[in-house]
Amino acid sequence: MLVLTRKQGEKIRIGNDIVITVVGINDNQVKIGIEAPSDVKILREEIYSKVKEHTVQATKMSKIHLDLDKLKLNKINKEK
Amino acid sequence: MKLKTDQFGEVEFQEEKIISFENGILGFEELKRFLLISEDEGIFYWLTSVDQPEIVFPLFPINLLMENYKQNEGYEPFGIVKLDKDPANITINLKAPIYINHEDKNGFQKIIDSEAYPVDYQLFVKN
Repeated sequence: MLVLTRKQGEKIRIGNDIVITVVGINDNQVKIGIEAPSDVKILREEIYSKVKEHTVQATKMSKIHLDLDKLKLNKINKEK
Repeated sequence: MKLKTDQFGEVEFQEEKIISFENGILGFEELKRFLLISEDEGIFYWLTSVDQPEIVFPLFPINLLMENYKQNEGYEPFGIVKLDKDPANITINLKAPIYINHEDKNGFQKIIDSEAYPVDYQLFVKN
């Protein structure tokens, strides 16, 4: 891993069209700005991992019999 | 064309039924061509990889679950469902919906970076 030290407001350029900016630093949090082409996927790692795990698990389950008389959809009503 | 599936045996279909996912599905980026299989008496759809038919994503139409979900004109939003023998453990992913355009046979996955949409939302409750 390449480790660079940057101050608030400083940037890092990756390739020709990705720029990372350290927008703010606060205790143990860093606010990062990212400029990248729209086809570049940008995700928080923990979301990526969670989505991937759920998806992989989903492919491992096969058809099941559901007794739909005893179940109803857990509908989401948007709160006002 | 023919597809051998574990769940439905041999499925015959026309090539124009293939839905193309140019960017794939997260974790399965190499798979680009899918068939959306539905059953007469089932509530799920089965998004089956044409190139690797053992990979099947059970889908449920999110519009049946909630109004006002993020729409994409011309596309129907589906959630990937993790099935389980215990219905209380069946969850649907509302954070990474699959959008399908039934006419253009085009699909894509989107990740919604909002805490309002969980990855594992419980799909059923007891009636």
